[in-house]
Amino acid sequence: MDEIKNVSLEMKDYIASSGAETLSWCMQCGLCTNLCPWRLVPGEVSENFNIRKMQRLGQLGLEGFEEENILFACVTCGMCQINCPRKVEIIDNVRSMRNTTVGAGFLPPHLRPIAGSLHANGNPWSGEREKRAAWQNGLDIPAFTEDTEYLLFVCCTSCYDTRSKKIATSIVRLLKAAGVNFGVLTAEENCCGESIRKLGDEELFQKLAQGNIDLFKRKGVKKIITTSPHCLYAFKKDYPELGGEFEVMHYSEVLAQLVKEGKLSFPQELARKVTFHDPCYLGRHNQVFDPPRELIQSIPGVEFVELDRSRNKSLCCAGGGGRIWAEVPMGERFGELRITGAVEKQADTLVTACPYCIIMLDDACAGLEKGDVLQVMEMSELLCTALDTK
Amino acid sequence: MNIVVCVKQTFDTEAKIVFDSQGRIDPNGVNLIVNPYDEFALEEGIRLKEKFGGTVTAVSMGGARAQEALRTALAMGADKALLVSDPALNDADEWVSTQALAQAISKIPYDIILAGRVAIDDGSSQVCVRLAEELHLPSVSTVVKFSVEGNKATAVREIDGGTETLEIELPVVLTAQKGINGNEPRYPSVAGIMKAKKKELKTMTLADLGLAALEPKMKISKYDLPTPRQAGKKVPGEPAAAAQELVKLLHEEAKVL
Repeated sequence: MDEIKNVSLEMKDYIASSGAETLSWCMQCGLCTNLCPWRLVPGEVSENFNIRKMQRLGQLGLEGFEEENILFACVTCGMCQINCPRKVEIIDNVRSMRNTTVGAGFLPPHLRPIAGSLHANGNPWSGEREKRAAWQNGLDIPAFTEDTEYLLFVCCTSCYDTRSKKIATSIVRLLKAAGVNFGVLTAEENCCGESIRKLGDEELFQKLAQGNIDLFKRKGVKKIITTSPHCLYAFKKDYPELGGEFEVMHYSEVLAQLVKEGKLSFPQELARKVTFHDPCYLGRHNQVFDPPRELIQSIPGVEFVELDRSRNKSLCCAGGGGRIWAEVPMGERFGELRITGAVEKQADTLVTACPYCIIMLDDACAGLEKGDVLQVMEMSELLCTALDTK
Repeated sequence: MNIVVCVKQTFDTEAKIVFDSQGRIDPNGVNLIVNPYDEFALEEGIRLKEKFGGTVTAVSMGGARAQEALRTALAMGADKALLVSDPALNDADEWVSTQALAQAISKIPYDIILAGRVAIDDGSSQVCVRLAEELHLPSVSTVVKFSVEGNKATAVREIDGGTETLEIELPVVLTAQKGINGNEPRYPSVAGIMKAKKKELKTMTLADLGLAALEPKMKISKYDLPTPRQAGKKVPGEPAAAAQELVKLLHEEAKVL
């Protein structure tokens, strides 16, 4: 039996004051824990992390939630939150509980270089600020001016990571092919701050966000296209709190509309069996389900098949909530379940629309040695292969 | 047992160093952390207190922001904190820092004074050794193992190519190597963080310490950034010919073969 601990009203108040406003709504039904993707894998984190129990410890002001395997385990996929019968803002509670230690200057050691790089370089990948726009060399991407309709905001990951840069260049190619009036401010941008906010570093988030909001306002930005669903989330749901109100869309929404209007088409036939992994931050968090499906199915020759867990029930890749920087042993990665699921459907291509998902799914596919039967692709890359190459 | 741990607030290891218009290091917008070696010293100090009882006092010198470093120390488990802060200390050299810290620490009871073996910013490794001198105490630097029995302590320190074991009578000044006694700096509990907000954090100026403004014995005349690393060289051509060319370059240009 667990040792008896003292309930601390003071600690409960401290947690609530960090923003966990709906903590007391929880009635401990346990639906959250049963829907949690951690139940689908074995291992140390899975054995230690129980989201219902974590809420309970917070409600009672009991110690024990601060252990790294518990406090930093949640992937913020939102599966529990959208199904919670009491509408508890579970992710806000997790974020606030993290803030009680992170706000006092204690980030787990493996996350310190991430925060350090965000402070110093404005991105989490230790990339030099001066090189943020280096991937654009030779691509002839217009700078955003007051006459530009859309700002294209490119995720840090796709500015610095070699694999991920292909996503950025593919999206640029598609927007150009469709004649979208867009421009970039990449060199002056900060990380959107979505993940560091989920990790509980509110102060750092606000610094990053304020920098972007000031930049967008100064340049007269009204509409933003994001390459990543995480930036989409930050701009739509976090930035309005700080006075940053913009019309924000994920690139899949923009492109799907253009296909409908006949301004973009994919003449190249692709004989592929494609399935789609809904990124949590595109699907569950932003309710964008149809546009990616419409786009994929507008490619002639493509046979589309759904994964067993799709749309609102999609299974997280495990890259959200700062877990993109966590070391997780093989056999405990959610991405492996996604790869296995896609292979079972006999798909030859697993498509997703998020740079984090790509990292996690690529890793899992390589780890399971399924690269010979399944190709992981970002949706923009698949769409580019179907563009007329004339 | 009374333990004093000297804690310095330093630039984040990821911080980018830029100079202001006067050629001085510009601290604006830079994230600050507790010097990582001092975290090991803190961990050791707290463990000694847990074993022998007593008080851990964290002492720092710096501007108002250095209070954050001391709050961190308090959250980890230090009992009290003292910040020596005075605009007159802005250009302090190691001698000035030592005078101020020695004066502050001399008013606190101590058996063991701990600090990290080096601060990762200026890397001088001088202040604690000077402090021992000023307080007429023995000092052992770069300690990897440490134990206390009664009034005696045994310290193992790194020396070139090996270790040296020393016996010292308390009080003593020690500087901690990374991983001293095999421990990692602790991650505090939320309760610890909450308690830290109520613990005593005193700030003292030079006047409070009974000191007049101190004239540094050393002045920094200039800072320079390291020369940027040169880009790599690619040897083009057919593999066999390129390999020959590479060997030639390694031999004649790089002189490593």
